[in-house]
Amino acid sequence: MLTRGSQVMVVSLLTLAAVFAGCAKRPATSTAAQVPAPTAAALSVPANPSPTTTPPATTATPTPGGGTETTQSPPSAPGAAVQTPDQRPPIKDFVSIPELRDIFFDFDKYDIRPEDAKTLDANSGWMKSNPNHLILIEGHCDERGTNEYNLALGERRAKATMNYLVSQGVQASRITIISYGEERPVCMEHNEACWAKNRRSHFLVKPR
Amino acid sequence: MNRGASLVLLLLLVAVGVTAVSPRPRESYAQGTQIYVDIYGAGKKKINIAIPDFTVVAGADTTGLAKSLAQVSGADLKFTGVFAVVAGEGAIPANNPEALKKSWTDFAAAGAHAGLHGLLAIRGERLEAEMRLYDLTSTEQKLIGSKTFSMAVSQPRRLAHKIADEVMLQFTGEAGVADTKLAFSSGRTGAKEIAVADYDGFNPATVTKNGSINLTPVWSPDARSLAYTSYKAGYPDLYRLFPFEKRPEQTLAAFSGINSSPAWSPDGQTLALTLSKDGNPEIYVLTLATGTLRRLTRHAAIDTDPAWSPTGRQIAFVSNRAGAPHVFVMDAEGANVRQITSGPAQTQPRWSPKGDAIAYTSREGNFDIWLIGSDGSNPRRLTAGPGDNEAPTWSPNGRHLAFQASRLGGWQIFTMLADGSEQAPITRGTGERTSPSWSPRLP
Repeated sequence: MLTRGSQVMVVSLLTLAAVFAGCAKRPATSTAAQVPAPTAAALSVPANPSPTTTPPATTATPTPGGGTETTQSPPSAPGAAVQTPDQRPPIKDFVSIPELRDIFFDFDKYDIRPEDAKTLDANSGWMKSNPNHLILIEGHCDERGTNEYNLALGERRAKATMNYLVSQGVQASRITIISYGEERPVCMEHNEACWAKNRRSHFLVKPR
Repeated sequence: MNRGASLVLLLLLVAVGVTAVSPRPRESYAQGTQIYVDIYGAGKKKINIAIPDFTVVAGADTTGLAKSLAQVSGADLKFTGVFAVVAGEGAIPANNPEALKKSWTDFAAAGAHAGLHGLLAIRGERLEAEMRLYDLTSTEQKLIGSKTFSMAVSQPRRLAHKIADEVMLQFTGEAGVADTKLAFSSGRTGAKEIAVADYDGFNPATVTKNGSINLTPVWSPDARSLAYTSYKAGYPDLYRLFPFEKRPEQTLAAFSGINSSPAWSPDGQTLALTLSKDGNPEIYVLTLATGTLRRLTRHAAIDTDPAWSPTGRQIAFVSNRAGAPHVFVMDAEGANVRQITSGPAQTQPRWSPKGDAIAYTSREGNFDIWLIGSDGSNPRRLTAGPGDNEAPTWSPNGRHLAFQASRLGGWQIFTMLADGSEQAPITRGTGERTSPSWSPRLP
């Protein structure tokens, strides 16, 4: 029926086209009570959604009838999801200290530049002489690039930083890494000077 | 009236020029239905549909629903790119075939090809609406379809969306996407919550409230849950929340390193994701029922941002194994890896619902949305600034893409037709909105 209806429409439209193509000067005739405003004036639905937020529980229950759901429950009962024993130290305990300086990266790169290696050498010196501190390395990106990729890129920067420190004799077991992707810039302008400051590894510590 | 008439005539001439072009049935995905509307080439082949105010047949319309429902359905139909709306003043009187015929005759004279007549009954807490669709190109004004809907009185927009989706179904063989949602990350630097809004940006609601950084929500195929990455426990872990239910959130992955880029398999049983627990960002598949993890990539480079093909047989992903980030495709077991994009940098592959194309973000100076055949053929640009355009997500019928655009200042969510036309914001205001995910049709 759908098919037939559509075919009828095709035919009719073609007919319509043929008719009007032949007499394009035909005036638009009557406009009675309910008649059409021009298309351009058709709608005035605001493009700007209301800023009001409503609690999600009450906004939109996607089942129209409320309780007529027939979909089976999703397969993930509690416990089905992956839980790993959390051996990661709480992030909030870590603090920045002036002795440990940030290092920086080229765009879309995670190799340690020679001048930054010197910074890392100094940082590793502090770490080795303060063996009672755990170390958190944050990997960061600039705003260019997409979120998912930048999370991975920040991870690689933190990891490359960690590997360098380990190669300098810092115990790997003291180090935790975290990527913030592009989510925690230190400089908010949209230019290379700022971006260069944001592509960084940052160090925090806490006593064991 | 004269001005109105001449505008109407103009519209009619445009329509004539269009229909004189031989109608081209769509190729691969017309499933048994003759379709004469080309989804591309917006503005060229539109059906003019008349939508007078709905006719109230029962109850008292104290809030102007008769008008607003017609307007919302009209906006939905205009959004499709398939229809132009011929609006009218006033409603067609109930149970009056003479008046109905006269209205449709007048609308047809003004260029309407079809008429949508809504009949609304307001009964306590429920709205009941019957939509009747007429072919105005035939002198008999043939009824080509009708359907009745019922909706809570609190959700009138949703009722109008369902009517519009039905009109699309009648005309194109596939329902519209007005009854869908968009999820996105919303806030400012360092504090982003997950929000859900109607597909047109109305009814926004925040669905996380943890004050942390919440990123990249992705709808499950049943449109009931969102997987997303959150720093709420300190580290970037992967969670699943149920925005429409009072149901506790689940932790999907909380391994050492990043737990990110969730991508639901089409059957909803598994999730592809990025973990760096084994030392380097790699793609894994998590089976939800068992918690089993299967590793798909093994490469010293970054592998991330997986996206399933609609058949579930292939996965597109991003890797910088060739130097810069590019889009690769592998089979769902991780074999047969091949690179499908090249150039400076391509990320965020998102497979089209029909399977024939992959949308992605490309950096060539600025960031823009591109489309490429899933075999790597025919890359073409969909956006060209201004500013950056990232994070494409497909509407469930593949006619539209939502994305984040910086052209208004901060990031906002925009939509466009799949050919890149009709780009328009659906969010505005303070704060930024990123990483949209377009829901499947709601259950």
